[in-house]
Amino acid sequence: MKRTLFAAFAALALGGASLSAHHSFAAEFDINKPITLQGTVTKVEWVNPHVYVYLDVKDANGKVTPWSLSSLSPGAARRAGVTRANFGQGQTVTVLAYHSKDGSNFGFMRRMTFADGHTVELWLGDDEAKK
Amino acid sequence: MTVTTAIGIVLAAAALSAQSPAPATPHTADGKVDLNGIWGVAPLPPAAKPSQSVRWLLPLKGVNPEGNDVFKGLDRVQVNARAAASNKPEYKPELLAKVKELSDKQGVLDPAFYCKPQGVPRMGPPTQIVQTPGQVLFLYSASNLFRIIPTDGRPHRADADPSYMGDSIGRFEGDTLVVDVVNFNDDTWLGSDGYFHTEKMHVVERLTRKGDVLTYSATIDDPEVLAKPWTTTPRDLKLSTNPSDALLEAPPCVEHDAPHIVTLDHH
Repeated sequence: MKRTLFAAFAALALGGASLSAHHSFAAEFDINKPITLQGTVTKVEWVNPHVYVYLDVKDANGKVTPWSLSSLSPGAARRAGVTRANFGQGQTVTVLAYHSKDGSNFGFMRRMTFADGHTVELWLGDDEAKK
Repeated sequence: MTVTTAIGIVLAAAALSAQSPAPATPHTADGKVDLNGIWGVAPLPPAAKPSQSVRWLLPLKGVNPEGNDVFKGLDRVQVNARAAASNKPEYKPELLAKVKELSDKQGVLDPAFYCKPQGVPRMGPPTQIVQTPGQVLFLYSASNLFRIIPTDGRPHRADADPSYMGDSIGRFEGDTLVVDVVNFNDDTWLGSDGYFHTEKMHVVERLTRKGDVLTYSATIDDPEVLAKPWTTTPRDLKLSTNPSDALLEAPPCVEHDAPHIVTLDHH
């Protein structure tokens, strides 16, 4: 049975000190350019201020294009219960991301879907605001 | 038992609980307030299994996670929260334009964005304190940084270069550790809104223990740029007693983003 983990958000006081300072996502990524990438996770870089996932994306002709994907901070991921082991090292995955504004093979990863159908989504917002 | 009686018992129990004495403030063998411990660390949830689905939202009140306002919403929520705060450093009038310019370009100018230490006082209170007679060690788990603070009455050292965390000496005043910090470099900000300072900055931190709560605040003076000294809003940090709260090595800071920054959006 698949379970979804809902984690309480405790430590990241907005505007507070003590956490790594990080760049504005709006300065780097285009929310209006969602992209879906299928590929193999070649590396998970568990670093501050943002976790990076590296993906080899193969097209229909077999040509491989490397992509890099930024995520939230390792601290935020861990407070969501997510560790490095949840980011699919060596596995073939499908990723929903938002393309970088500079057009390079770089994006902000929202959700990773695995071959067995389970998903890891680290995102931003307030579900109450959907109403 | 009537419902009223039951409520009465519950209220009495609550009152008793509220009146039970707060934990005593411990002291070390040399009579100083005992600051040893891990402070203000939120317990971590269990790690998800590798096959487990996880959905988690970095909370942004009022921002629809399915909308196209998510990235700008993050910036806006944080900028607005800081703008609404009542306690901010007050700069000399002739420097307000510079502060605003730095703030507007924070996304590319904030030194902390390039993996440099946030420095004192922006790095906030330590996450663990180790106290021995004559010195106190501050450990910062978010950045793997430390400070060694002599409390044996020696003066500031005169042979060190200016630095991000400055030169600290401490003294005890009752149950408060007072840390005097000088000899800073000017490569840190006091906060995200362009709050620069000079090497003349002088910081006095106060850490007061009452029972199992440590209260931290810092007073910053920099006569070159501030109109008057600024005292940060005190923060209460609870003592951690759970062994799982032991500090872990923080992942290193590796800057990959700067080449991809296209606009001056910031938070």
